[in-house]
Amino acid sequence: MDTFVALSSEPLENDPALREPASDQNGAVVEFKGVVRREEAGRPVAALEYEAYQTMAETMMRRIAVELGAFHPCDHVLILHRVGIVPVGEAAIIVRATAKHRAEAFAFVSGFMDRLKQDVPIWKVRSVPINEKPGSAQNKTTNHPQPPGFSEVLAIVDASCQPLPTERVSLAQAAGRVLRETITAPEDQPAFPRSAVDGVALLLDDRSQDFLIVDEIRAGDWHPRQLVPGETVRISTGGALPCEDLQVVMIEDVELSGNRCRVKNRSIETHIRVQGEDVRRDELLLAPGTVLTSGAISLLAGIGVTEPLVTRQPQIVHFTTGDELVSAQRQPGPGQIRDSNTPLVAAFFQQLGLVVVHCHLPEKFDQAKTELARHAAEIAAADILVFSGGASVGAHDHTPKLLEMLGFELKIRGTRLRPGKPLLFASSGPRIAFGLPGNPLAHFVGLLGFVRAAIAKLAGTTAPGLQSAVLTAPLEAGGNPRETLWPASLSLRDGRLSAEPLRWSNSGDLVTLARTNGLILLVPGTDLLERSTKVNVLPCALFP
Amino acid sequence: MRVLFFAQIRQAIHTDSVELTTGEVDVAQFWQTLNALYPMVAEYQSRVRLARNGEFVGNDARFTNADEIALIPPVSGG
Repeated sequence: MDTFVALSSEPLENDPALREPASDQNGAVVEFKGVVRREEAGRPVAALEYEAYQTMAETMMRRIAVELGAFHPCDHVLILHRVGIVPVGEAAIIVRATAKHRAEAFAFVSGFMDRLKQDVPIWKVRSVPINEKPGSAQNKTTNHPQPPGFSEVLAIVDASCQPLPTERVSLAQAAGRVLRETITAPEDQPAFPRSAVDGVALLLDDRSQDFLIVDEIRAGDWHPRQLVPGETVRISTGGALPCEDLQVVMIEDVELSGNRCRVKNRSIETHIRVQGEDVRRDELLLAPGTVLTSGAISLLAGIGVTEPLVTRQPQIVHFTTGDELVSAQRQPGPGQIRDSNTPLVAAFFQQLGLVVVHCHLPEKFDQAKTELARHAAEIAAADILVFSGGASVGAHDHTPKLLEMLGFELKIRGTRLRPGKPLLFASSGPRIAFGLPGNPLAHFVGLLGFVRAAIAKLAGTTAPGLQSAVLTAPLEAGGNPRETLWPASLSLRDGRLSAEPLRWSNSGDLVTLARTNGLILLVPGTDLLERSTKVNVLPCALFP
Repeated sequence: MRVLFFAQIRQAIHTDSVELTTGEVDVAQFWQTLNALYPMVAEYQSRVRLARNGEFVGNDARFTNADEIALIPPVSGG
């Protein structure tokens, strides 16, 4: 059997393979053409978009054809499946079987379609709505390289960052730092059998009722002695047991009188915390990459680790550009605005436990160069440079030039994500630099979306990624063709992460920014999302 | 290993592939690693078939760093 299989992003009707002449040996040619209809799931559509795992899809289709050919012998089969956007009226699939008689050809085509819909990795991924012109927006993406979107920017940033060197710090400095060594238990915990309750310790197999109290053991005491039947010791919670094979009877279950006691009630519970019950010696306690919480620091102290090995903190220098900016204390003159970005950047890093050095660059390139020279020492020591504003390509925006002058290689010059289109990212060896667009919301998107991921990677851990949340109100996104990070107020409601989309008119909207604690990632062309729709969000903190 | 994502999974996590270094793992360990990286993928786990180097595999499969693993959600070609 002669088998031809292909996936194509071009109209199948024009495929040259279809023009093969029919042989004169065969009496039946059955062709099935699956055509995109005007309606999909009850809604009018202009096109459908198909996606395939190309290599596997072709292999599977060929294998299915061979398997079916064994039952329904055909002389020639041809299978074409389209991928990408398929407009209404055009074929998504063509299966043609040529055989001596019609029965085999019909059976082959029908059997093939059944198997295709079960096992061939091809998916309808999207219905293109009637008002979006098929072939315009989408096809451009394949023909021209586009600026990177959200996940591509993240990937480029990730690839440019390496964990910083380590240092040892005291426990007082360790909160929030990332552990870079393996911590194992130096000894069993508890290190010796201890009483779990206040009571009296007596031999497990001693059936006496009345006992002589021969000692009293408090937590911290060490009084080893072998008890004999009829003897007991008074013992406090945490007290070290005097010998083996004991049981502790709770104080509520005994009657004390002087140095004697009577057991009223004996349960099978021994009330003893055995040696190594919590942790065995050499057991893994904390793995490298663990963020040291107060609990983890308490554990370190408990096992005598006073100087854990952690990632060194990154040094950060923040630059503002733009002569229109005045500091927040001052009344802006005509045409001026208060600098809200410097406090935003400082607060963002402060929440991550990091301190930033600020530096204002004058708009004139020569003056900016002089100012950079003045801060040469800080810049040379910096792991991260953040530039606010000055990232676009206008005459006054010279951040790219300054970065190149400082020896940085520009890796990202613009993103298709909005807001934040003129994003810059550059690296120089292990050092990285971000240029964030001047307006505050775009700043926030750059910080939360990308700078935080970079800081996590430098620290030797990973930032919380996209999480699933439920919309608490409809989101009218307006069908913007760009990928969008939409400001949202996230909260936990009935145990679910909920996202309230915030009104967003322009990127300079500080009132919206004040309520924003997360961002909703919207795919290009998102129009109206109803309440309760599941969305992907990037939260400020995992537990808001 | 290279892990490939398609269709709704790709759309959900905004990633079409990721390179993982896991050593040899079984299917359960593979999912554990992946779910830690992309918590949202867990939602699809019950409906997804796995393919190793272009072949569907069962739950007894083992994967190495040299493999290409694809998450195949229910297909809808044709």
